[in-house]
Amino acid sequence: MKATRIIITAMTLKWAYRAANAIRGFASSVIACGIEADIERELKPSETPDGRPGISVMIFAMSMKDLEKHVATRVGQSVMTTATTACYSGLDSEQKVSMGKSLRFFGDGFQISKVVNKRRFWRIPVMHGEFIVEETAGVTKAIGGGNFLVLAKTARHGLAACEKAVEEIQKVPGVITAFPGGVVGSGSKVGSKYKFLTASTNEAYCPTLKGQVKSELSDEIGSVLEIVIDGLDEESINEAMRLGIKAACSFGPAKGICRISAGNYGGNLGPHLFHLRKLLK
Amino acid sequence: MSALIFTLKNQPKFTLDAAPLTPENLEGKTLTQIKNLKIIYGNKTSKLDTLFTVEGTDSSQIIIENSTDKLINAGQAMTKGSLTINGDAGDFLGQGMKNGTLTVIGNTGSWTGNAMSGGRININGNAGDYVGAGLPGDAFGMSNGLINIKGNAGDRVGDRMRRGIIIIQGKSGNYCGSRIHAGTIIVLDKVGKLPGEGMRRGTIILAKKPTHLSATFKSCGNLKMQFLRLLFTQLASIDDELSLFNKYGPEAHRFSGDLARNGKGELLILQHYK
Repeated sequence: MKATRIIITAMTLKWAYRAANAIRGFASSVIACGIEADIERELKPSETPDGRPGISVMIFAMSMKDLEKHVATRVGQSVMTTATTACYSGLDSEQKVSMGKSLRFFGDGFQISKVVNKRRFWRIPVMHGEFIVEETAGVTKAIGGGNFLVLAKTARHGLAACEKAVEEIQKVPGVITAFPGGVVGSGSKVGSKYKFLTASTNEAYCPTLKGQVKSELSDEIGSVLEIVIDGLDEESINEAMRLGIKAACSFGPAKGICRISAGNYGGNLGPHLFHLRKLLK
Repeated sequence: MSALIFTLKNQPKFTLDAAPLTPENLEGKTLTQIKNLKIIYGNKTSKLDTLFTVEGTDSSQIIIENSTDKLINAGQAMTKGSLTINGDAGDFLGQGMKNGTLTVIGNTGSWTGNAMSGGRININGNAGDYVGAGLPGDAFGMSNGLINIKGNAGDRVGDRMRRGIIIIQGKSGNYCGSRIHAGTIIVLDKVGKLPGEGMRRGTIILAKKPTHLSATFKSCGNLKMQFLRLLFTQLASIDDELSLFNKYGPEAHRFSGDLARNGKGELLILQHYK
C-alpha cells in the first residue's frame, strides 16, 4: 500500500476537526472507497507549519494512482471548503502526491506560489481570506489490513471491549483505524459466489449462520467485531495490535469476551503476517 | 579537522578576486597546492601565498580573516560548505551561489547575491545597492536562496528577482523590490522611496509605513494574512538567528501592485507586533 500524511490547521481545533472529519468520511475501505483515511492525532500549534492548532490525517491507498486521484479531490472538496483551514504535507519523502499543484487553479490566475524553507506553498485567494496548501505531500510505502477479531457473547459486550481497544491503538503514532469508530461490524472475506463482487460477508464468523455453514464460532459466541489497522510500518502495527488485544482481553469472559482471533484470508491480503501469539509474548 | 583559514597579509590596494576560495574549488587540494593557486589581484595574477597566509585542513569550512571591501566575488558559484569572512567584503559577494552558507561579519558592497540560485548569505553589517538583483541585461535577479542582512541595504534591493527571500533587519534604500518577478523581501526598519516600483508579482513586507508609495498601488485594506503566519513560523524555525520573526503577527495592510505592470504583486505593511 501507499500512504501519505497531511496536516490540517485552522483558526481553532474545532474547525480543523471539521475538515479532518470531512476528509475521512467515506474512507473506511479501499474496496469501495478508493482510500482508507482517519485522524492520526491532534497537533499542538508548535507542531504545525503555521503555528495554529492542527490535526494529522493519514490516507492509505492501493496505488499511487489512487492516492493521486483521491488526495487532491478530498483536500479540494473537504479541506479547502472548510472555513479558515490550511493543508500541509506531514511526511518528508522523495515520492510525492499532488495537493496544491492541482488545487492552485481554483485561484483562477490570482494564486501565488511561495517557496519557504525549501517547501513550496500555494496561496489561493478564497472568500474567507486565503487558503494555503502545500504543493505536494510525501508518500511512503505502508501496510494495510492488520486485524484482529473480538469474539463476544453479545454485540454490547464486544463493542465495549473494542472501544477500549481502539482508544489504546490511537495512542500509537503512525497507525489509523479507518472504519467508523475504528470497529468493523461487517468484516468480509475475499471473493464471493457472485463474480462481480471482490469481497463478501465472512460467513464463518456470522453468528446467525452457525448451524448453516462451517462456522468458526462456538455456541456461546453471539457477536464478532473486527478491528482493522493501517500503519506506516510493521513495528507500529505490531505495537497497535498488541495494545488493542491486551485492552480487549482485559474485559475477559466475565464481561463477555470469549476469544480473540484474526482473519488470515488464506494469505491473500498481502505479504505481511501478524501472528497474535507472537505479538503478546 | 580544522577550518581552512586564509589571513590577508596586508590590506590590498586593488581589488582582489576571491572567487577561487570556495569549498568545491579547494576540495581535495593539499596545502601546498592551495598556496600555489593563482589569484587575480588588480590587473595581475599572483600566487595565493603572496597575499594570504594559509592554515587548516577542512576545505568545507573556509574562513577569510582581515578581509576588506577590496575582496570581490567571494563565494562565487559556491555549491556547498561554509565560507565566513571576518571583516568587510566587496562587490558580487555570493554571485551565482547555488548552495552552502556564506557569512560576512562586516559590510558588503553592491550586487550581493547576484544571480544566486540557492544557499544562504548572512551579513552582519550593511549591504550596498542591488542586493539579489540581476545585472543589466539579465532577465532575472536571484532565483532562490535566502539573504539575511542584519544592518541596512542600499537601493534597488531584489531588482528583477525571480524567487527566494531577502531579509533586511535595518533600513532599505529607494526602489526596494523594483521590477521583481516573484520572491519575498522583508524590511524591518524604514524603507526608501517607491518600494515595489514596477513589480510584476512577489511580496514586499514592510514593518514600517513607506513615506513615498507609488500611485500605482491599490489598497486592499487591513487584513489578517494567513500567509504571514506561515512565513514567520517557517522562518523562525530555520534557526535561532531568525527567531525574531516569532514576534510578528499576521495583521497587515495589503496593497496590490504595481498596477502599471499587471498588479499581481503585493506590498504588506505590518500593523503591529503580537
